[in-house]
Amino acid sequence: MLHSVMESVRQVIPIPAVVQSPNVLEDTVIQRDIEVFVGFTGHAYGRIVIQGECKTFSKLGEFMYGMPLEGDILHSFVGELANMVAGNTSILISNKGITIDITPPTVMVEKLHLHGYERGISVPVQFENVGEINIILLLQNQGDG
Amino acid sequence: MAKVLIVDDAAFMRMMLKNILQKGGHEVVGEAENGLMAIEKYRNLIPDFVTMDITMPVMEGIEAVKQIKVSDPNANIIMCSAMGQQSLIVQAIQAGAKDFIVKPFHEERVLESVRKVLGA
Ligand SMILES: [Mg+2]
Repeated sequence: MLHSVMESVRQVIPIPAVVQSPNVLEDTVIQRDIEVFVGFTGHAYGRIVIQGECKTFSKLGEFMYGMPLEGDILHSFVGELANMVAGNTSILISNKGITIDITPPTVMVEKLHLHGYERGISVPVQFENVGEINIILLLQNQGDG
Repeated sequence: MAKVLIVDDAAFMRMMLKNILQKGGHEVVGEAENGLMAIEKYRNLIPDFVTMDITMPVMEGIEAVKQIKVSDPNANIIMCSAMGQQSLIVQAIQAGAKDFIVKPFHEERVLESVRKVLGA
């Protein structure tokens, strides 16, 4: 599934990027300027999280849509970015016979404590002239939490 | 020029669609951030077409399409969603949507869909 998530990130964000090697998430605290969660259920159960600095997301928005974003509209863009990454992931994995449904995004600007997931994998992605964001995949066994 | 109702939970996406549709010469008569609001606004505004997101809180888009179609079987609805697996497209079309655009999209794709759906 991580492979499909990363493929989806490449599709949604058409900016040259260096994808670093995945880390197993050990820390249960996420602290960046802003992070967004999209839950998924169905054949797989968990969350996709995207986190980074506001200025990085603002630049991403500028590269993708031609305008720098700030405030509420930046938060909304970050939410929609996660929606698009999760949505396109669902399309990619449906080709492998895996069906998931996704939740609307939750955008957060505070420190987060993560509990109740089985496995977490974090992948830093460095976008050319933009900056780094982290893509995190949290997987739970179905029926948990 | 056609009257459009834009339905999406993300203000950012509503803004993007509004820019594109206005550039294409259409008049945005309303916006809704979930399916329930969409049904209500459709009833009041009677737009020529609707762009409808799927993943939204309160009520998702396919359910909203079904309900709008009950009140107006001729409603022109274009799905505009980040999810777009074959099974979902089939569901949306069966619910009564006339086209399906997967996000992220290009401006031309949106305007082409509107032309197609309005039969112009
Ligand atoms: Mg949405």
